[in-house]
Amino acid sequence: MITNLGRALCFLGDIMRHIVCGRIRLGEVLKQMYAQGLQSVIIIMMTSLASGLVLALQGYVAMARFGAKEYISHLVALSLVRELGPVFTALIFSGKAGARITAELGTMNVNDQLLATRTMGVDPIEFLVVPRILACFLVLPILTVISEMVGIAGGYMVGVGEAHIPGPFYINQTIKAIQYVDFFSGFIKSFFFSILIGWVCCYQGFTTKGGSLGVGKFTTKAVAYSYIFIIVSNTILTKIILTFWG
Amino acid sequence: MIKIENLSKTFSGKSVLDNINLEIKEGEILVVLGQSGTGKSVLLKHLIGLLKPDQGAIHINAKDITCLSEKELLKIRSNIGYLFQEGALYDFMNVAENIAFPLHEHTQFSKKIIAQKVTEILEIVDLKGIEKVYPSELSGGMRKRVALARAIILDSKILFCDEPTSGLDPIRSRDISDLIHDASRKLNCTTVITSHDIRNSFRIADRVVLMHGGKITAQGTESELRKSQDPFVKDFLMN
Ligand SMILES: Nc1ncnc2c1ncn2[C@@H]1O[C@H](COP(=O)(O)OP(=O)(O)OP(=O)(O)O)[C@@H](O)[C@H]1O
Ligand SMILES: [Mg+2]
Repeated sequence: MITNLGRALCFLGDIMRHIVCGRIRLGEVLKQMYAQGLQSVIIIMMTSLASGLVLALQGYVAMARFGAKEYISHLVALSLVRELGPVFTALIFSGKAGARITAELGTMNVNDQLLATRTMGVDPIEFLVVPRILACFLVLPILTVISEMVGIAGGYMVGVGEAHIPGPFYINQTIKAIQYVDFFSGFIKSFFFSILIGWVCCYQGFTTKGGSLGVGKFTTKAVAYSYIFIIVSNTILTKIILTFWG
Repeated sequence: MIKIENLSKTFSGKSVLDNINLEIKEGEILVVLGQSGTGKSVLLKHLIGLLKPDQGAIHINAKDITCLSEKELLKIRSNIGYLFQEGALYDFMNVAENIAFPLHEHTQFSKKIIAQKVTEILEIVDLKGIEKVYPSELSGGMRKRVALARAIILDSKILFCDEPTSGLDPIRSRDISDLIHDASRKLNCTTVITSHDIRNSFRIADRVVLMHGGKITAQGTESELRKSQDPFVKDFLMN
């Protein structure tokens, strides 16, 4: 367990060294961004639309009790931007893009393609791992913003259609509700999650052993670890951000 | 020139290579014969630094590669062609991209020249017109020939082939063996081939090494080996 963590940290250090030294293949990064983003964007939009709708529906019930239904927009916007957007998006992203990374690298590993890369004098970290991690890092925050906007749109539908709040008023309230702090605290989280997912999933793929069974095993392991790390680190990050930023 | 000294390797208590000593001269074609599971592939992986020995040294051009870092190894490997037993083609690239990969990585040729070289080498391995096909759509033997094309496209001075003819029909086996022979003679390339294929091995090899139980049991030319009185050698060559 400890040795595994040590190896995983070395792996991350190796990747960081490549990135710092500028050994980055832009073409590969773009290809990976395209694949990862396109693969996850629809399901992330569906989830966030649904969560925006549900938040607003429940918020309407709760707020109506206090006669404060105008604040639905605040509730929806703040919960999405501060917590639900980054966390839900990261969870779905690790199940889609993360699993894909591990399965791809794992299959390449058990078919000797990673070894073949090395025999051709090419560093597999540079060629295969760095582009994937960088793509995660760039795509996940974008997906998070998309998901937040879609979620807010979901809240808008309920707010206007169900609670009969005037549309312009709802939008106005939403913009007023979200301060820089709210947005950036969520944004920082999604950058952090993106590195976490990329790291965990690449490492699992890179260490996959044992044929097709191994690919299955390591892929589920990668997704499970990503989930756990996202949830745990989110709690810690929330505490840290609240302590320093309120 | 390649020199292997006292090479030993154990996998989880099981000795696979046991004190191997071998010298391969420049331009020599050496075939390593042996039963399945005697450690031929393991030996080749040591020669290119994919595996580290428990003990012993491997000198390639007077440099001991067993104590080099991965970064230094990568530089050396860019001058070595290596054919994997299962081909190990990238399945996210088509045939042309696979073969062109070493050229893109290590040469400055223009796209047009690279495409031309790919077409030429595909013709040589008798697979004309499959540039756009993906490896998963090829037969095992076709994949192996594409992998061979990828291994020799850089005209390296050292070539390692892990069972280039297994899984091929007899005629193709002969043609591929001849192809490796011609390619390596043309470039005065030091070549190490592992194989089960006794007939073709003797056809193209300058010297044949017979491995058994992690050791080198016998070595020499065909006539020398045929004269051997060792029961395993006789048994192996009989079939
Ligand atoms: N990475 C590894 N971990 C553990 N054992 C291994 C590993 N690689 C090879 N072995 C063992 O080493 C022995 C030799 O394997 P190797 O692949 O070199 O055989 P081979 O001579 O190439 O056989 P074949 O002709 O079937 O290809 C086998 O018994 C195998 O179980
Ligand atoms: Mg083998």
